[in-house]
Amino acid sequence: MGPPSWLYYLFGLLMLAVAGYGVLLLVLSVVSRRRSGRDVDVSHALMGIAMAGMFVPAWGFGAGWFWQLVFAALMVWFVVGSFQSVQRYGPHVPHALIHAVMSFAMILTYGFPMVQAVASTTPAGGMAMSMSAGRAHLDPGLGLLLVLVFLGSAIFTLASPVKGASHHGSHVRAYAMSGAAGGTDPESPHGGEAGPAGTVESAVALPWLEDLSHVVMCIGMSFMLILML
Amino acid sequence: MTAVTEADEDRIPKGTVTTVPSPVGASVPPRDLQRTFQLLLATVWLLDAVLQLQPFMFTRGSNGFSGMISGMAAGNPGWVARTITWNGSIVYHQPILTDTAFATVQFLIAFGIVYRRTLKPALALSIAWALGVWWFGEGSGGIFQGAATPFGGGPGGVLFYAVLAILLWPSEGSDRPFVAARTVGVAVARGIWVAVWGLLAVLALVGSGRSPQALHDLVAKVDNGQPGWLGHVDRISESFLLHHGTPAAVLLAAVCVVVAAGVFLPVGARQVTLVVALVVFAAIWVAVQNFGGILAGGATDPNSGLLVIVLTLIYWPLPETSSRVLTMTADLAAAEQGG
Repeated sequence: MGPPSWLYYLFGLLMLAVAGYGVLLLVLSVVSRRRSGRDVDVSHALMGIAMAGMFVPAWGFGAGWFWQLVFAALMVWFVVGSFQSVQRYGPHVPHALIHAVMSFAMILTYGFPMVQAVASTTPAGGMAMSMSAGRAHLDPGLGLLLVLVFLGSAIFTLASPVKGASHHGSHVRAYAMSGAAGGTDPESPHGGEAGPAGTVESAVALPWLEDLSHVVMCIGMSFMLILML
Repeated sequence: MTAVTEADEDRIPKGTVTTVPSPVGASVPPRDLQRTFQLLLATVWLLDAVLQLQPFMFTRGSNGFSGMISGMAAGNPGWVARTITWNGSIVYHQPILTDTAFATVQFLIAFGIVYRRTLKPALALSIAWALGVWWFGEGSGGIFQGAATPFGGGPGGVLFYAVLAILLWPSEGSDRPFVAARTVGVAVARGIWVAVWGLLAVLALVGSGRSPQALHDLVAKVDNGQPGWLGHVDRISESFLLHHGTPAAVLLAAVCVVVAAGVFLPVGARQVTLVVALVVFAAIWVAVQNFGGILAGGATDPNSGLLVIVLTLIYWPLPETSSRVLTMTADLAAAEQGG
């Protein structure tokens, strides 16, 4: 009796749900011309699609080097964002940092040859990433460290009294008051009034839901890394 | 003074940001350290839950979860062994169902701790679950076999989850003089500390705890499949324990006694004993317990080293002055805003 394939399908579906939610937020933010959190939306959409393809190989597509390039670009973006945030607000842990680390983890997972091997040879549901062939590429110590960081991020994000911080940053008091996630951006074409897009956005871009998508991504990525240890 | 927030960044033209908020604002309350440690405990439970989802945990046989449980029966008294074997047979017959249930319980504990409304039930569940796992999953930590040395995680890594749940039981009040005393009070917290470290000292000396060969075998049985750098560390610790196992056990017992007594010492001396405890158990966690075997891909938890470190940190003495400094800083910031 082997490991249940439904578990991988479940994680694959969860990753796709996070990706779909990221795309939805991205579209709404473009319509309402809200830029806050757009980079995280892009990141979640790409990571969700990529990880779904790792959990269920039949859903995977694209060459490994392509995905590595994509996540390298995202990592650079978030690292620069982290530096800028520290420069502006003084010493703190910027929210962009965890997304940079997640991008780094994605680069590592694509450096793990088992992913591509499984994707090209195994039918759907036959994920076999716990095999030891990848050990030469992913140092288990680094993998465990990343797992602890992601699981810690998941727990502390859920417990944070400032909802939406995983998406929009730790200095979100004004963000919450301005209702930036609710579609009343003063610079929006609606002039701060809730138009049709704003109404949809206020129903979808809920700070707790944004946090939840981050938590699901953190747990999915942790599970993926543990499978690779 | 106008505070510029991160979320405002994309609405403000570049180059117009001239003010930077103070790192400590008037609205920033002192950090609730008990809450922080509760969340760290939740993180460890979440790690356990994810580890429970590893493929081999859903399988039968000696390399599966049921085999892991049944293997704990060996060496225990008959009546203890029978309860463990009984549990192992249930897992053997329903590996997917039982493992899914086990993982679900651990997810519930982790997420339950996160929300204040479910914190107490989650901690209560964690205590009950930890005791169950200690008995059925860890074979009572090897206590009945005389093989519960702290080097190997004795008296059972999962027992520390229960101890932490008790000491981190939520309550109003101050984190001072140390976090562990916030709920149970200084006297009870000290009593628990002495009991835990006294037990560790005894377990380091009794049974096979001071046998060089047994200590060597502790490392040898977990070093298979470890990454190269940890394998190198393992070879050093195996050799050291084989040649100096008995002195190492006696030294560990002595350290545990000193650490146990340290809770009654003045703050400076107490901090020294706590640092010694942190260093010793960090070394044991890495060089002997191998992070609970997680890196080799066959673990269900991080073993006791990590939890002893967390336990030690919640006994770290917190100076009364720091709360005064925080209050003064908040007052200053409030005055600045008012002005």
